[in-house]
This record gives sequence, C-alpha cells and structure tokens, in this order.
Amino acid sequence: MNAFRTLLHPSRVVTVPLRNAYRWFDERTGITQLVHKGLYEAVPHSGGWAYTLGSATLVLILLQLFSGIFLLLDYVPSVEEAWQSLHFLQAQDAFGNWVRGLHLWGAYTLILVIGLHALRTFLSASYKRPRELNWMSGALLFFLVLGLAITGAMLPWDNAAYWTATVVTNILHYFPLIGDGLRQLWRGGTFVGPITLTRTFALHVWVLPFVLFAFIGAHLYLLRRHGEFGAWVNYNTETDDPDKEIGERIRNAEPPYPTKRIERRYAAPKRTVDFFPDQLFKDTAVSVGLVAIIFIAGLIFGATLDEPADSATLTYVPTPEWFYLPLDQFLVLTPHDPLIAVGIFVIVLAGAAAFFLLPFLDRSRERRPTRRPEVLVPALFMIFAVIFLAVLGVNRLYNL
Amino acid sequence: MSTSTQIGGNLLTNGLLVAVVALVHIQIAAFLIGASTMAIVSETVSLVRRNRDERHDRLAHGLIKSSIFIFGFGSALAIFFVMFVLTGVWGKFFVSLQQITFWVFFLEGITFLFEIVLIYTLYANWQRLGEHRKARLGMLILLNVVQWWQMFFIDIVASFMVTPNGGDVNILNLILNPTSIVLTAHRTLGNIAWAGAAVALVSGVQYLRVTRRLETVRRTAPATAAAASVGAMAASAAGSEPPEAREARYWDWAGQWGAVFAVGLTLLQPWVGYEYAKEIQLHAYPAWFNMMFGDLSNVFLVQITLLGSIFTLGAAYFWRRMKASGAPHARRQGVVTAMLAFVTLFAALPAWFAPTYADVVTAHLDRPFWQGGLLNPFGNFIPYKVGALFAMVMLALWSLTAYMRANSRDELQAGRVGRRSAVILIGLGATVSVMMMVMGVIREHARQPYLISGELTINNQQILNNQPSAVGGSSGVTDR
Ligand code: HEM
Repeated sequence: MNAFRTLLHPSRVVTVPLRNAYRWFDERTGITQLVHKGLYEAVPHSGGWAYTLGSATLVLILLQLFSGIFLLLDYVPSVEEAWQSLHFLQAQDAFGNWVRGLHLWGAYTLILVIGLHALRTFLSASYKRPRELNWMSGALLFFLVLGLAITGAMLPWDNAAYWTATVVTNILHYFPLIGDGLRQLWRGGTFVGPITLTRTFALHVWVLPFVLFAFIGAHLYLLRRHGEFGAWVNYNTETDDPDKEIGERIRNAEPPYPTKRIERRYAAPKRTVDFFPDQLFKDTAVSVGLVAIIFIAGLIFGATLDEPADSATLTYVPTPEWFYLPLDQFLVLTPHDPLIAVGIFVIVLAGAAAFFLLPFLDRSRERRPTRRPEVLVPALFMIFAVIFLAVLGVNRLYNL
Repeated sequence: MSTSTQIGGNLLTNGLLVAVVALVHIQIAAFLIGASTMAIVSETVSLVRRNRDERHDRLAHGLIKSSIFIFGFGSALAIFFVMFVLTGVWGKFFVSLQQITFWVFFLEGITFLFEIVLIYTLYANWQRLGEHRKARLGMLILLNVVQWWQMFFIDIVASFMVTPNGGDVNILNLILNPTSIVLTAHRTLGNIAWAGAAVALVSGVQYLRVTRRLETVRRTAPATAAAASVGAMAASAAGSEPPEAREARYWDWAGQWGAVFAVGLTLLQPWVGYEYAKEIQLHAYPAWFNMMFGDLSNVFLVQITLLGSIFTLGAAYFWRRMKASGAPHARRQGVVTAMLAFVTLFAALPAWFAPTYADVVTAHLDRPFWQGGLLNPFGNFIPYKVGALFAMVMLALWSLTAYMRANSRDELQAGRVGRRSAVILIGLGATVSVMMMVMGVIREHARQPYLISGELTINNQQILNNQPSAVGGSSGVTDR
C-alpha cells in the first residue's frame, strides 16, 4: 500500500523522511511552539510602517556581523599590516572592495535607521510606563553603535584612521582629573601607536559587540514582555463611555495585551493585527529594501583607503566621519580649552543623559505629540541644532 | 554712514538711498516667505484636527491677502531697486556681480514667474479653492517652496559678497561658499519669526481697536456693565455678545500665535548667528574684526539688546496672557520674564567704553576700568556674552514651552487678556522689525571698504563711476 502511494506521489520519498526528522527534532526541542510564540503576536493595527524601523535596525546589525566576518578573514590588527591587509583585500581579493563597501555603507545606514527608530518611539511616546527600560536599553544600544562606528573608523590605519584615533582618544584628556589616565589607557602610552590599534580592535570586535548583543537580547525581551505599544492613534476611544470601551478592549485583548494593568487607557489597542504575516511582511519589505540599497551603494562606491598612516604628514587635513560632524562643528565653536571641556562634558553629556533618562524627565500621561509640548518643543530645538551643525560641518569641510 | 572710506558722489544717492530701499525690500521679501509658511502651518493644523475652526482659515486667508498687497508694492520697489539704484548708481559693481552669478540670477528670475502665478491664483480663488482644501494647501506649499528657492538663490549672491573665498566663481563654489548655508538658515528662521512678529503687531493693533469699540458698545448697553474689565467682557457669555467680542477673541488668538512664531524661531538665532559670525571670522577676517572690535562693535551691542528684548517681551506677553486666563504657573512665567530682562541688560554691557577697541589702545587705556582704564572685562564675548546668550535661550525656551504646555492643557482663554498686553505684542513686532534693519546695516557695513569682500571696493566702484571715460558710452557697462 505504501509503495503504491509512493508511486502515486514520488515526492514522498523526500517528504516523509523529512517530516519524520522534523518530528524527532521538534519532540526534543519544542521548536514548533517556539516559532508559534515568535510569530503569533498581536501588533497594533495602525502605523505598521513606522514599526518596521526596529527590525530593520536588527537586520542591519546582523548584516554588519556578516560583512564583518568576511573582513576578519583578511584583516590583521597591527600597525605594520592593517593597511596592507585591507589594500590586498581591495586590490586582489574577489569582491574585496564590495565587502568593505558593504560594511561601510551598512554602518552609515544603520546609524541613520537607528536614529529614525529612536525618533519614532520618541514621537509616539512609547517610552512611557511600563516601557521605560525599553527606551533606556535602546539608548544604550544607540551609544554602543556610535562607539562601534568610531572604533571601526580607526582600524584601516590609513591617514584618516590614524588622525581619527588621535583626535578621538585625545578628547578623553579634557575630562577633569582622570582624563589623562583614560587617554593613556586607550592609547597604551602617551602617543597613538601599535597598542592603540590592538586595543581599539579588541573594543570593536569583542567588547562592544558582546555588550551590544546582550542589550539587544534585553531590548527584545522587554518588547515581548510589554507588547508593541505602537502609537496613540491606536488608543482613541470612539463611544460616549470611554471607560466601558477600554474595559471591553482589555477583556478581549489577546496576550501580551493587556500589559500589566499599569496604564489602563493604554493597556490594549482598539484593533490589532498578527505579527505574522501582516507586520512581518512590512518588516521584510523595509529590511530587504535597505539591504538592497546597501549592496548597491557598496558595489558602486565601495570604501576608500587613504595613504598609509603617517604621523609626520604636514599636508593631510583630517576630517571627521559625518555622524560626528555635529560634535566636531560644536568644537569649532568652542575654541578655548576650558570651553572645550564645558562643551563636551557639560553640554554634550547633559544632552546624552537627557536622552537616556527621557522616561523619567517626561512623566505626564499624555501620549499625543500635541499634548506634550513640554518635551516636543525642546526636542525639536535640539534636533534642529544637531542637524544644523551637521550641515554646517559639511559646508565647512567643503571650504577647508 | 561711515565716511572713513572716500565715497564719491553724494551720500544721499549712494548710501542712504541704497540703505533705505534695501532695508524696506528685505522686510517685504522676508515677510512674504514667512507669511506663506505660517499660512501652511495654520492650514495643516486645521486639516489635521478636522475641527473646521474657521479662525485657521481666516488667519491663512489674511496672510495671503496681505501678501498680495505687499508683493505688489515689493515688486515695484524691487524694479526701482534694480533699475535705478543698482544699475544706475552702482552700475560697475552690479554688472560684475551679475556676470559672476549669472546663472543664479537667471534662476532667481524664473522663481518670480512661478511666484506670480501661484500667489495671484491663491488670492483670487481662495474661497473657491476652500472646497478642495488639500489642493489649496498643496499650492501654498508650492508657493513656499518657490519663495524659499528665491531666497536661497539671492543668499548665494549675498553670502558670496561677504565670503567670496578667493573669488572662485565656479557654480559649486558659489553655492557652497562658506556663509551661504548658514545665511540661508539664518534667513529661513528670520523670515518666519518676522512674519510671526508682523502678525503679532497687527493683531495687537486690532485688539486695541476692537476692545475700544467694545467698551463703547458696552457703555451704551449698561445691562452687561457688571463685567469688571474689558478682557472679561470680551470673554463673556456668547448669548448677547456683540460681534466685537468675537473679533477681540480672534485677534487675541492670532496675536498669540504670532508671538509664538516670533519667539520660537528666534530661539534658534543666537546659535545660528554665532555660527555665522564664526564663518565670517574664518573667511573674511577684516569684516569680522570690524563687527566685533571696530566701528560696528557698539551697533552689535544694540543688536544683542534687541535680541534680549524680543525674548523678554515674548515672555512678558506669555506671562500676562497666562495670568489673565488664571493658568497655573503664571507666576513662574513672571519670574522668567524678570530674569530675561536682567540677562539682557548683562549681555548689553559694553566691553570697552569707546567707539572702537583701537581707540582704547591708542589712548593707552587698555586696562580694566577699576584700574582707570576703559575696558570692562564683564562685557567680553567669551565667556560672559556667550554665557548670557546661552542663558537667554534657555530661559526663553522654558517660557515658550511652559506657554505651549498651558495651551495644550486648555488653560488659556481667548479674549481675556488686557489691553496692555496688546501693547506688548506691538512692541514685540516693532522690535523684530528694528532688529532686521540693524542687522542689514551691520551686514552691509561690515565688509567696508569692500563691496565684494577682498575683491571689489567701494572706491573702485566710485572711481569708475566718477570717470565718465570708464563707463562712458554704452559699452562701459558691459565690458569686463
Ligand atoms: C541595536 C539597536 C536596536 C534594535 C535592534 C532595536 C529593535 C527593536 C525592535 C525590533 C522593536 C519592535 C519594533 C518597533 O517598534 O520598531 C523595538 C521597539 C522599541 N525600541 Fe528599539 N531597537 C534598537 C535601538 C533602540 C533605540 C536607540 C531606542 C531609543 C532610544 C529604542 C527604543 C525602543 C522602544 C521605546 C521600543 C518600543 C516601541 C513600542 O512599543 O512602541 N530602540 N526596538
């Protein structure tokens, strides 16, 4: 009988053993349940395209991991050979330049997308109770990504890298009291040299990614614990009896809604969709689009490699990476030593602290942007300042 | 008008005329761009809220109507400016500039075509287009975009005159000259702030007018005389209310938004202005020196005082309006106003008691005043003025945010504010206007004796103008 069936459906030769293997595996690991748990989650109905930015960030980070591994196949973290190895990769290896381009343009896109993700969760007030830690872990991730970007820029050990290392490690010494010690620690001496490169390499490849992935884990765990908040549009009430309406919503909501009954009004959205396939489709579309752009940008523009590092050069004009232009331009404005210290350690650190501690600075229950001018007005002011500094930085570099 | 450089011709035609025409022209042009921006914001808010609040429509319509009249007058003035002043009196300079920035001027001309079409279409069909509000908003946005490019193109020319960066005239260098971007940012913000200030000014005047009439109406109808103040009358129950009461509420409402725009966008200006000065320092040092240490250093103090006054007047108005509505935290606004006034006075301290720093040095009095000198270290830019500017911005940001917060919590009521607050609004509008003029004077004077910094001087211009042979005949104007 079985043989007869197999004759009717020749594909069963493959599918039956496969299915059996899967059952064996599932019995031992519970993979089906896990996948179900992962895929069937309720996501607020409205605003789905804006919620794709988080998963896009994740995909871009994985892409960095992927292209980074390929770079590691050639790269040698020593001042003698770093430049040589990348030069070899670029000139001799098949697709070498493309891989460098992928890592570079991937990093640029990542910084942009993570910024947009933070902006959207800010505008939608997703950081409010009970999601304060979602925000704070996210803010740490943002700092980590910036740290990765700047340490990465030092690794090629060309002129650009060398001078980036010099300028960036030097910033530490403006820190009161322990500044010189910190600079010495990173540099591995008074001046930038071989140890600076190996330490920076260790930071870029081991320390920061390790912490990064740990916090990504925490960030995603928290996301699943509280569910996607989405945005205020999902929580408007439509009937004359909002209390009753909200009560019904909470009763009918599927897990993880309602959240831990902290904020009744925002405990459950009025309509949800399934993560799979609705939201996942949007997530995939955005991520694939971004990855495609990076592949094309990497192919067309690649990544530049300056002359090998030369500490004695008189002609090389160091220019910062674009995402540090606001800070750089800010320093141009603060020419005197004491002001630099104030500029970096008071103003910039205060800004970073405000970013990190936002959930505790904005404690109102309001979620609609127009009802939160007390955070929106200062934030717009700051966002404008940062963008403006960046644009002026570009203009200044052009006229150097 | 400085006479330190030998200006030939007569002062009236060469200096004063240019100054007056140029300053009026800038006020007009800046208002037009700012007005369309404000109209867009007003329309967008009304569309998003879907509440069909006819005040939004009225404000936007008012802005477009005033734009038409001002545009008509401004165009006539611009033609006069170009034909008689620039080509007539400053021919050599203007033709050189035209040739350097030919394509920029060409594009500039084209934007006017678009602007005329859009602005008149909007004006003539405002009501009819009201049935297609999104389309009307689209046209407004288009108008604003066209106007913005118009400004950007002329900013390229204006900034090139200050920082020609060696006079390299390829188009990219023209566009990205060291001060073009920062000037554009400065003016973009300034235009909107100025339109806000103008709305505040007009609303203040209208509020005074309407509330006076309301007073008369109420006096002749004694039944409602129980209300204590004019403001309270305007806000009284709608049942028997005269049309003036509604008018008063409208102008109070509009004036408030004018003030919010004026203060809100000016908030960013110290920052942008500092950057601007920095670029001038790096790329046109003599002009910067002139501004900070030379003839213009005291004019610069006037500028800082005016800036502080804008913030102080704005905060004072917010305070009065919150107080009139009985909003919580109104008192804190009062404290912020006082602090702003103090910071303004501090920022206005001169760093030396003489026309220029050079005067102090030549008199051998370059030591602090307590040692018998003419210097006042507390007036130094770094760190005191920078600190004062920073404090000013933070205080004004606080004040604006607190006001917006009160507004978002429905703690403010239109039509309650006293008549003196309307006077504050008028003062705010006037201060912004004066500040723009002072800025224009500084701009045009800083680079003296140059017309194009380091490239073309007033004397070149004058000598050539005064020698009939050099410009004589019809060929003189066009040969390089
Ligand atoms: C490595 C970087 C990051 C990754 C991989 C990541 C990933 C995600 C994902 C997948 C989501 C759910 C989808 C979405 O709402 O977009 C999310 C939500 C969220 N993220 Fe991130 N994120 C990162 C960085 C940040 C940063 C920088 C912030 C803010 C400072 C942030 C704050 C939040 C918040 C508050 C939510 C909850 C949104 C809501 O429930 O509406 N994240 N993140």
